[in-house]
Amino acid sequence: MLVEFELIQKAQAGDGAAFNQVVVAYRKRILGTIARLIGRPEDVEDVAQEVFLRLYYSLDQLRTPEVFEPWLYRLTVNASYDYLRKQRRRNEARMSDLSEQQVMMADAAAGGRVSSEENRLKQVKDLVDALLGSVSEQDRILLTLKEVEGLSLKELEKIYGVNENALKVRLFRARQRVLNAFGATQKGRSAKPAERKS
Amino acid sequence: MEHPNNELRNDELDALFAEYKAAVPDREASANFMPQLWRKIEGRQNTLFRIKRLSQYFVAAAAAICILFATMTLALPNGTEVSSSYVDVLAQAYPTENLASHGILDEADTK
Repeated sequence: MLVEFELIQKAQAGDGAAFNQVVVAYRKRILGTIARLIGRPEDVEDVAQEVFLRLYYSLDQLRTPEVFEPWLYRLTVNASYDYLRKQRRRNEARMSDLSEQQVMMADAAAGGRVSSEENRLKQVKDLVDALLGSVSEQDRILLTLKEVEGLSLKELEKIYGVNENALKVRLFRARQRVLNAFGATQKGRSAKPAERKS
Repeated sequence: MEHPNNELRNDELDALFAEYKAAVPDREASANFMPQLWRKIEGRQNTLFRIKRLSQYFVAAAAAICILFATMTLALPNGTEVSSSYVDVLAQAYPTENLASHGILDEADTK
């Protein structure tokens, strides 16, 4: 835990300064997680504020210190999921609609034809965002928590309140879909030289 | 056994996910983060407070109306109690003699 449980208790009792300290301790981590979960840097702070807002109004329901972090993650997951669902309503961008530009980015990322490290990382980010677009919002979040955030199945079990086997099945299916999408980008890459020849 | 291509792709995907974390590192909040957060908290508090006050007014008004109706019911004098049925009331209002005079019934029926 990044903070003492006493501090959380003070925040629960309505101490604004204690709540501030809790936010300051966790915000960097939460901002990073949200950035990777939603893939849109411009909206990360809004979603993070929604997480801490929900934390503020539900802090009194917390009973034991051990569950604070999984609980904060659950709030993060829920807020990110709500955001992604709203976004999908606005814009249905799926892996099946991978644009030529995205295939080119995949091409460049894999082929090493990049000018700088920063560009390469941007291409990696865009490619992973596009690949994660091939699964549902819930699966995107679950997969990101497991594969990118590095959370263990036990930790995910606490966050989701679902048993480990159900999570394993869901993760396997989601990963297979992402793998298929990844394969499609690679096929697209290898098909392009042939197109150029014809 | 897993196809070598799939295995390779799995490894590549793992590497890609690892790079993704490097591409999107944990980040610092902007200077506005905390003030905006507190504005949102206070905004919601005000909304909740308004809803709470509105509901208190509503409950008070409902209680006042209930008391008013109860007082009116107790204070008003009892009207004519209807102890007979609708048909009895009609029969009282229109005795058979009248019906005969209007030609609805025969004279003989009235006797």
